[in-house]
Amino acid sequence: MTDESVVSVQGLIKRYGTITVVDNISFEVNKSEIFGLLGPNGAGKTTTLECLEGICKSDGGTMRVNGCNPQLDRHKLHQTLGVQLQSSSLPDGIRPGEAMSLICSWHGLLPRFDLLRRFGIDYQNKKQYSEMSTGQKRRLHLALALSCDPAVIILDEPTAGLDVQARADLHDVIRELKSTGLTTLLATHDMAEAESLCDRIAIIINGQIATIGTPAQITSAGHAETRITLRTKINCLLPGRDIGDAHFIKQTGDYGIWLCRDTAAAVMELLKEVQHYGDSVEDLRVERPSLEERFLELIEGSVQ
Amino acid sequence: MNAFFKHLLIQFKMDIRERGTLMTYYLVPLVFYLVIGGVFSSTNPLAKQTLSATMVIFAVTMGAVLGIPSPIVKMRESGVLRAYRVCGIPGWAVLFIQAVSAFLHLLVVSIIIFFTAHLVFGSSYPQSLIGYSLALFILLFSSIALGLFIGVTARSQSIAMMLSQAIFLPTMMLSGIMFPVAMLPKAFRVAGHLLPATYIMQSFSGLAFMLRCDIDATLSLLIAAGIGVVVAILTVARFRDMEKSV
Repeated sequence: MTDESVVSVQGLIKRYGTITVVDNISFEVNKSEIFGLLGPNGAGKTTTLECLEGICKSDGGTMRVNGCNPQLDRHKLHQTLGVQLQSSSLPDGIRPGEAMSLICSWHGLLPRFDLLRRFGIDYQNKKQYSEMSTGQKRRLHLALALSCDPAVIILDEPTAGLDVQARADLHDVIRELKSTGLTTLLATHDMAEAESLCDRIAIIINGQIATIGTPAQITSAGHAETRITLRTKINCLLPGRDIGDAHFIKQTGDYGIWLCRDTAAAVMELLKEVQHYGDSVEDLRVERPSLEERFLELIEGSVQ
Repeated sequence: MNAFFKHLLIQFKMDIRERGTLMTYYLVPLVFYLVIGGVFSSTNPLAKQTLSATMVIFAVTMGAVLGIPSPIVKMRESGVLRAYRVCGIPGWAVLFIQAVSAFLHLLVVSIIIFFTAHLVFGSSYPQSLIGYSLALFILLFSSIALGLFIGVTARSQSIAMMLSQAIFLPTMMLSGIMFPVAMLPKAFRVAGHLLPATYIMQSFSGLAFMLRCDIDATLSLLIAAGIGVVVAILTVARFRDMEKSV
């Protein structure tokens, strides 16, 4: 565990009967970092989080959450770790203010109504949990998770089922929490969400970490190619052909689309060709392989 | 302790807001009591004597056995227990608070029946208030333990409902609250001895109303309490297992 790391998982193993669900997983999460856990269903990410949350007993390895052992110091853990579960709920008849009072009273704290206000939940409203929208419920669970002023928060699929606006709002909240120094562990299926929110990501496949790094490191490490989309004034490159490193794949309207591995060289070749014909570039887009493509590539690799 | 009482207060208020709970704890038992009380007191003047006891057994059994299990199964199915757990709320507190809240609601219903049975139907007040209170306490304890046991045992709400009915209906028919036990065929009388309500009815008759009983009233009270204790122990053991899987 480095000085910076707030969460440390070393050689974590979890078995259910003869099946090893988490197989020797190790990672560290630094202070103020948003660390994403990605993986297909049944990969072991929720089990890993459950071990960190202290609700699941590990069969091997060591874990530390802000200096506390989740398996042994349950009471201390609840004072340093906030958890928002995807599959959790509250009783239908509870009101947001009551939920906050309830959780805070068990932590020996005064109710944090300020958190409800901050997340746009009117705690004086008589609305019951069952009458709240999915977005409001998610924000309420987030506020409850933050009520004990934790150093680390675990978010399991925080935006699943939310509409675009609610999703964007929640992303803003998560970024805002990061700026206050909160360390976040985010489990998600949403690649775009992971790519835009996470500082680092671990992709878990079959209970093992397939790759770990920043989104840029992960996407650049694969075999997927960069896509170059180009439109010129007199369409000098159409109908398209391979130009140097750039492999032409298709034409869409006035746009030609090429794939390449060496992006800089391919762009230079294309621009040189445009210049050669006395044409000029009207639109040029370079898209590196997405996290989703890299993710699918890793899964395909694991299947093979 | 502060957290416990705050949680209990919130649970009590939630129970009142929950339409299903309100129906099984208050509305249906009290409406049934008014209808059956009217029928019993006019057709069988002897039934007037123990009307408050029989109707209290009905109301408490209905509230506890039909009202408690479904919310517990729902809490497990919908992830409430899980959410409470990760928020640091101890599992024992969740179960105990459900029990205490149910106890308070059913005590309120019992008190309403106790007083109105005399005022509305002219039923007798018990000769021993202590005996009545003791029998009522054991009735509440054993019925709530049964309700909790069904709640932590049933895998789904539909199974909970079936198990609840499997206890509630025989309790109504075989425990002596609707018909005297002596009128039942022998096999049914024996089956009735498996139900705590049978012993509670004997306790009310012997200890509160000083009537002659088929089984010694004090022994009946002890048997009913014993059943309650055994069921409560089984409930806690099952709940501990259940907690591991949520």
